[in-house]
Amino acid sequence: MAATPAHRLLRLSATALVAAGLWFGLAVTASAEDPSAAPGASASASASASASAVGSVVASPGASPSAEPLVSAPPVPSPIAHPPAGDTNGCFDCHSAVNDKQAEISAAWETSVHAAADVGCADCHGGDPRSDQITVGMSTEAGFLGSPDRTQTVGVCGSCHANVEVMRPYNLPTDQYVKYWSSVHGQRLAIANDTRVAVCTDCHGSHDVRKTSDPNAKVFPLNVPELCAGCHADAKRMEPYGIPTDQFEIYSGSVHGKALLEEQDVRAPSCASCHGSHDAKPPRATEVVEVCGKCHTATQELYEQSRHAQLEQAAPKCWTCHGTHDVSPPGSRLFFHPETPDYECSTCHDLANRTLRLEIDRFANEADRRCDTCHHPDSQIYAQVQGIADALGGAEGAYAAAGLRIEDAARLGMITADAEVGLAQARTSLIQAQAAVHTTKLKLVSDLSTDARIKADEAQAMAIAKVDESTFRRQAMIVVLALIALSVVFLVVIKRQLDRELEGR
Amino acid sequence: MATEQATGGSPRRTARWLDDRTRLGPVLAAMLHVRIPMTARTFYFGGIALFLFGIQVVTGTLLALYYKPTPEAAYESVQFITSDVSFGWLIRSLHHWAANLMILFVVLHLLRVFFQAAYKFPREVTWVVGCGLLLLTLGFGFTGYLLPWDQRAYWATVVGTEIAGGVPVIGDSLLLLLRGGSDVSGATMSRFFGIHVLVLPLALGGLLAAHLVLVHQLGLANPKKPEPRVRTAEADDEPLRPFFPHYILDEVVAWYVLLAVLVVLASLYPAGLEEPANILDAGHPKPEWYYLAVYEMLKFLPKDIGILAPIVGLGVVIVWPFLDRSPEVLARRRKVVVGGATLIVLALVFLTWRGYVA
Repeated sequence: MAATPAHRLLRLSATALVAAGLWFGLAVTASAEDPSAAPGASASASASASASAVGSVVASPGASPSAEPLVSAPPVPSPIAHPPAGDTNGCFDCHSAVNDKQAEISAAWETSVHAAADVGCADCHGGDPRSDQITVGMSTEAGFLGSPDRTQTVGVCGSCHANVEVMRPYNLPTDQYVKYWSSVHGQRLAIANDTRVAVCTDCHGSHDVRKTSDPNAKVFPLNVPELCAGCHADAKRMEPYGIPTDQFEIYSGSVHGKALLEEQDVRAPSCASCHGSHDAKPPRATEVVEVCGKCHTATQELYEQSRHAQLEQAAPKCWTCHGTHDVSPPGSRLFFHPETPDYECSTCHDLANRTLRLEIDRFANEADRRCDTCHHPDSQIYAQVQGIADALGGAEGAYAAAGLRIEDAARLGMITADAEVGLAQARTSLIQAQAAVHTTKLKLVSDLSTDARIKADEAQAMAIAKVDESTFRRQAMIVVLALIALSVVFLVVIKRQLDRELEGR
Repeated sequence: MATEQATGGSPRRTARWLDDRTRLGPVLAAMLHVRIPMTARTFYFGGIALFLFGIQVVTGTLLALYYKPTPEAAYESVQFITSDVSFGWLIRSLHHWAANLMILFVVLHLLRVFFQAAYKFPREVTWVVGCGLLLLTLGFGFTGYLLPWDQRAYWATVVGTEIAGGVPVIGDSLLLLLRGGSDVSGATMSRFFGIHVLVLPLALGGLLAAHLVLVHQLGLANPKKPEPRVRTAEADDEPLRPFFPHYILDEVVAWYVLLAVLVVLASLYPAGLEEPANILDAGHPKPEWYYLAVYEMLKFLPKDIGILAPIVGLGVVIVWPFLDRSPEVLARRRKVVVGGATLIVLALVFLTWRGYVA
């Protein structure tokens, strides 16, 4: 089967998810061997390590590198010491008037959460905020540090944000510092001194830091995908790391992306929901069910009852059927290919030792994420899948038919509340039946599907009765109109007679 | 045997039997046997509004047998009336459509009287009483709209009462008076129901009686020439026709046509019911169609002006017969008044349309 460019991209995306953990370890190790190497050199090393990691993970989807970071977080620096500003703010007074750029920075700070919490310039830059003299306020004697560079930034932020006592009044967590250093970003910064990775200010801003609950903040849930895409969709910026840059585009078209970006549903997952924020890194193969299960709790429980879950390393996981960044709405199409696919033993078996294992790239293309990609039509399991598909299809058909009938009745102006309640009950059973597919248990799915079909049929019967009632009303209306017309004719005849009598007089 | 002769004979004998025992014959004769100008053109708007009021009284009484005026029970009781009570859907739909048509025909009646200058001497008081009837009809619509307690009803009332709350000086008090509290709640429903089924019917019944007595006493206006202040021989020679049965027969035919329209509307477009009122989901922040013009006006004008303008406008309409002292009745000789009024009507129709499609 020839691989299309899209197929290759998706395969790369899926494999990258699994590979990233291993890649991360290898890449960092490659850099760690020579911490003094230039960023470009370390990036090249990691890219080549990544390439080799991808190849090895395709052959072994269950591979799970260690979750432990290679280096731990450096000690938390002390907050920057400076004389208390009191009621003065010499830095702001001068900088807001010195030129347009400084005025813009001052204005940005004024709107920030830091300004609201009395966190001033000297808290990050040092110096003496009481003085309005540049030679005093910004002197090294007064402890002025200038602008922290990208390496120092995490420490400057962490000096307060990792300090329990400082953060206590704001009820903010203090683990971001440790989490950051454990992330792909932090580890590359710590080991390879790769200053191109994201630091605190890249996501939160520097002078204009806002709360995550502020819709104008770059880290507000609705804005997160675009924030991450700012770097991760930049092919030039990502080139040294050898990772794909189409995740944002793919995610935007997914069921998750549409819910978050189009429907503005903040409950929908953004990049950070699966990859973490401060501790950003790709979920490992063994973690994916847990990551998806954070939101899809009930589905995770059903999956864990299934034969699939018992296969452990060789088990199909969430992404095997649903994809990763490109999760599309589930449906009956996921059961079978429209035509019987070509079967290759290596899709599900390790030919060397004849054990089960999945060839991940076989599922990179959405059209191949089907039950019959693995289960052959001659197999007993295929018949079971067929039974599940038929049961569910019958219930879905009954549900859709009932919905159409209710729409017909509503269009005729009938009150359909009782039928809609029945349909909602059918929907609940149908959702349960659809979710039960994750258990791979035919009887459970059949029982729930039958329940859904019975409820849908009852709702349809109610709707049909309403349509019939409306038809009766329309027929009765014609009879009444005919009687009214007869009465009018009778009255008009009398009226003409009276008019003639009046004219005669 | 004598009783049998009196009651079992012709209708004329039955009438005589009744008259012997009520002595109402002369009163009825005085009411019915009047004559009206041959040139009078009423288009039956007033009579149709009266007919629709009759339908509202009958259907409203039937609805009240089942309706429960509390936020907890109102929605379900309306659902019960519509779905389970025999012909409940028909009664509710007739009430719904007759209410809308009544407002429409009261307005058409007012416009007919205005454009024919029938408000001029000696019918100024009849006009003022008629304006009172229009206000009461709008009050019926406003108070009745909330009663189903569905999303549309609730949010239309929220918007409507907020407009009332915007009246300068007395707005806050008026809002509190209408809602019975800061929000549209059970207290609002109680007072709206009470006003809808007790206060307004009694008030409208009283004003309607006064309006009909005045119409009866003053007769129908001649749209071709003004009413003479002193009766002359020429005026007495004006061709007339009997009110009963000639005019009444035409009126009854018009009522039948309206009845047919009502039956068609109720059958093809029965009164619906949306989701129950949800104070957290402003699904329908829009008033009923007859308040849409004011609602739209508030989008273009400053709030105080947008609210005061219709109040002042209504005040001007009420006292218009005392402002327009010219005896002229022909529209072609009242170009400024007729042109201005036409423009205002077109503007109101346009604003209503804009509000409807917004």
